Amino acid sequence: MMNNTESNPIISLENVTFSYSSQPVLQEVNLSIPQGKFIGIIGPNGSGKTTMLKLISGILTPQKGVIKIFQQDIRKISRKKIAQIISMVPQESYITYNYKVKEVVFMGRIPYINQWKGEALLDYQISREAMEKTDSLIYAEKGIHQISGGEMQRVYIARALAQSPKILMLDEFATHLDLNYKYEIIKILRDSLQEEVQCIISVFHDLNLASYCSDQLILLNKGRIEKIGTPHEVINLQTLEKVYRTRTHIIKHPKLSIPQVLI
Amino acid sequence: MFKKKFIYLLPILIFFIIHYLSVGVKAQDNFFPITFQDDLGVEVTLIKRPERIISSAPSNTEIIFALGLENKLVGRTDFCNYPQEVAEIESIGLMSPINLEKIISLEPDLILSFGGFQAKDIPRLRELGYKVLVIEAESLAEMLHSIELIATACGITEKGRELITYLQERISTITNLSRNIPESKKPRVFTGSSYETIWSPGNGTLFHELITLAGGWNIVGNKQGWVPISPELVAQAEPDIIIVPSGIMNPEEINKIKRDIINRPGWSRLPAIKNNRIFTVNEDLFYRAGPRLVDGLELLYEIFHKTGTE
Amino acid sequence: MKSFIKPAQNKLYGYSNWRYKALFIIIFGFCVILVIGFIALNFGTIAIEPKKILSIIWQHKTDDSLGLIIWELRIPRLIMAMLTGMTLACVGGSFQGILRNPLADPYILGVSAGAALGACSVIALQYITGLYLIPILPIFALVGAFISISLVYLLSRKKSHLPMTDLLLAGVAVNFFFSAIITLLLAISRREIHSMVLWLMGDLSTASWQKVFLIVFPVFLGTMLLISSSLELNAMALGEEEALHLGVQTERLRLKIFFIGSVMIAIVVSFTGLIGFVGLVIPHIARLMVGPDHRIMLPVSALAGSIFLIICDTIARSIIAPTEIPIGAITALVGAPIFIHLLKRRNEHDE
Repeated sequence: MMNNTESNPIISLENVTFSYSSQPVLQEVNLSIPQGKFIGIIGPNGSGKTTMLKLISGILTPQKGVIKIFQQDIRKISRKKIAQIISMVPQESYITYNYKVKEVVFMGRIPYINQWKGEALLDYQISREAMEKTDSLIYAEKGIHQISGGEMQRVYIARALAQSPKILMLDEFATHLDLNYKYEIIKILRDSLQEEVQCIISVFHDLNLASYCSDQLILLNKGRIEKIGTPHEVINLQTLEKVYRTRTHIIKHPKLSIPQVLI
Repeated sequence: MFKKKFIYLLPILIFFIIHYLSVGVKAQDNFFPITFQDDLGVEVTLIKRPERIISSAPSNTEIIFALGLENKLVGRTDFCNYPQEVAEIESIGLMSPINLEKIISLEPDLILSFGGFQAKDIPRLRELGYKVLVIEAESLAEMLHSIELIATACGITEKGRELITYLQERISTITNLSRNIPESKKPRVFTGSSYETIWSPGNGTLFHELITLAGGWNIVGNKQGWVPISPELVAQAEPDIIIVPSGIMNPEEINKIKRDIINRPGWSRLPAIKNNRIFTVNEDLFYRAGPRLVDGLELLYEIFHKTGTE
Repeated sequence: MKSFIKPAQNKLYGYSNWRYKALFIIIFGFCVILVIGFIALNFGTIAIEPKKILSIIWQHKTDDSLGLIIWELRIPRLIMAMLTGMTLACVGGSFQGILRNPLADPYILGVSAGAALGACSVIALQYITGLYLIPILPIFALVGAFISISLVYLLSRKKSHLPMTDLLLAGVAVNFFFSAIITLLLAISRREIHSMVLWLMGDLSTASWQKVFLIVFPVFLGTMLLISSSLELNAMALGEEEALHLGVQTERLRLKIFFIGSVMIAIVVSFTGLIGFVGLVIPHIARLMVGPDHRIMLPVSALAGSIFLIICDTIARSIIAPTEIPIGAITALVGAPIFIHLLKRRNEHDE
């Protein structure tokens, strides 16, 4: 499964250790992620989830260990090239100036645009398609400060999709989304897995959502990988009690037969 | 018969006139071009005698008039107010900022300027090709030197020397008189405004020099330059005479100033106030580095030694 | 759940052709500058008829006093105002972009304090030593500016990084420190306080062709370089991390904008003193007019800054001629109402 190196993993972390100051946030992490899967990262606060995302996208550099994207050491790839492979949907961010929604989505094309040659029709086309997919086209002319949190989330996802990524990373994308949109977005994400996107990695706070979305789950605990596997394998009573220090009840979803956690 | 003799005289007369005229012209030609330094140490070269002079400071204007050059003056500042004839000359406006356009439109060939806050516009004038003399006098001697400088620049060194000698004589008269006054008899003098902060002239200022030369003892003479002082210091020094300058720099109504001084808390015991020896003077005689400084000197001597109570 | 999609307009999928828009605006802006510039030439203490002005310009006459006034006084001053306004607005807009702070102005990173200290030191020095130092004042101001730029850089540098908050804090700290020294200088130089304060409030009256030639090349080059970073500045607005994820090298961008902007400001400020408000508000006015996309906003800022400063300078030297009102006061008095008006209009528009 995950820890066995399948042929040509898209992302691999080899013995990665990272600390912000003196305390290590991630220790001796070994991971390889294959193609075509929706990966969920779960774990308690402070376990290193967001840090792992940032390491994979190259924003942070580990003190020890090597991170490889498509078998290439990430340190050898330029920032621009990385941006053409990986795109990230942040949990929330503040946009300083009141850009229009369509301009924000268009910014996803920046890694492909040469400042002097300018953009091509293709860039506009891709931006528009991204907005169509995320159902944010109706807001295209509105200012980014004028839309609600949920709408903004969809715009961020549109921007990330406009970046034509091979790896799509999301940090708790569902926080502000209404019930209906939550599952719409997941459908969009899964659809994109059929197209150019080869891998989706998302950090989840909501275990049930993680269980619903993901093909594989990575459970982190205090900077180390506690368990990797399918939702069935990872979400069980003992593991959860050990990591979250609380007793839970696990039921099977009536229709989808995925584990759901109840307190 | 009378007419016949006259006719013989005529060619001789004409010859002499032409001769003196040409000599006069040659004398002028021999004088110019001249090169000398102004008060900032900058070398200025004048190719010919200046005919259109602009003065950008009242002190320079007064010197021009004293030297009899007023017919060559084509521009002066709004602050130039002496002598009265100055009103007939076109004004270039304020002293700072200098109105460059007005100056250019008057087409001067010599500009007599002031240092200090006019300094920033002077490079500009020089860049445009104008001859600028910076005059900055901070003592009687420097004022006399200014006269010499301006006289030389205008080709009338003799007249300049005359004026200087005349002024020096008057100065000497006063200094000789006051030299004989013993220290104890010298009146303690305070001069300053009646505003919240009292600015008084210390050592190195024109005012202080005049007070000292006139045989007075400046209570802030031990300080340098124009200094802000406290009312307590004045009260402690117990001045015998208070000099109140009035004019543009001190525009308040004279009686109001006097009332403010008399009513200042803690000053009622000052000899100057008890004996009512408070004198208002025209500030132009003391702030301007022109020939009227000597008038101011003489006035101070009068006040110090020839008056009892007013 | 797909909603109704509008048919694509003129093959641009709903996006406007910003290049045509930008070109049009720039050409229009230059025309406005020419017209306003000519009108400005009509103002001054000596009245000169517009026809005469035209003929003086056409024939390049400098032999009579009127020609001298136009060619040596008014035109260099006009060009100086244009270049200064352009620099302040463009650098202000770039700093607002790179620092992600709408309240940033070109002086926030410490340049102005150093230049001001240099200038005031020369004025005080001249008084103390009696030497004729005024002509070299711009050099001192420039040196002072470079000292403060270096100080800010060294203070905020961590290993080889240039973190943003540290840059801002270092700039503020240097500003405070140098301003304190300047205040000290002002307090102890009674006679020269007048000259110092005038310089601090901004002063275009010493403009000359020599100075124009000195600053024209750095200003145009710098403006081009700043505008070339527009796309990356757009990305920065999303956030530092977001920009990194879009492939922008934020450290390098910060360094580039900081140095180019600071040098441009240092050069201009050395000759004109500190003119405030332009660098802060003109970029906002530009954003209200054409949107926050830096590719259009920065050029519009530059043009608007030029026009604005030309107008303000004309007002400053004409309203109570021959006295000159310090131009810093005029920029605030004129600019604030315009800004408030535009804000109100935008708020109504969004309701």
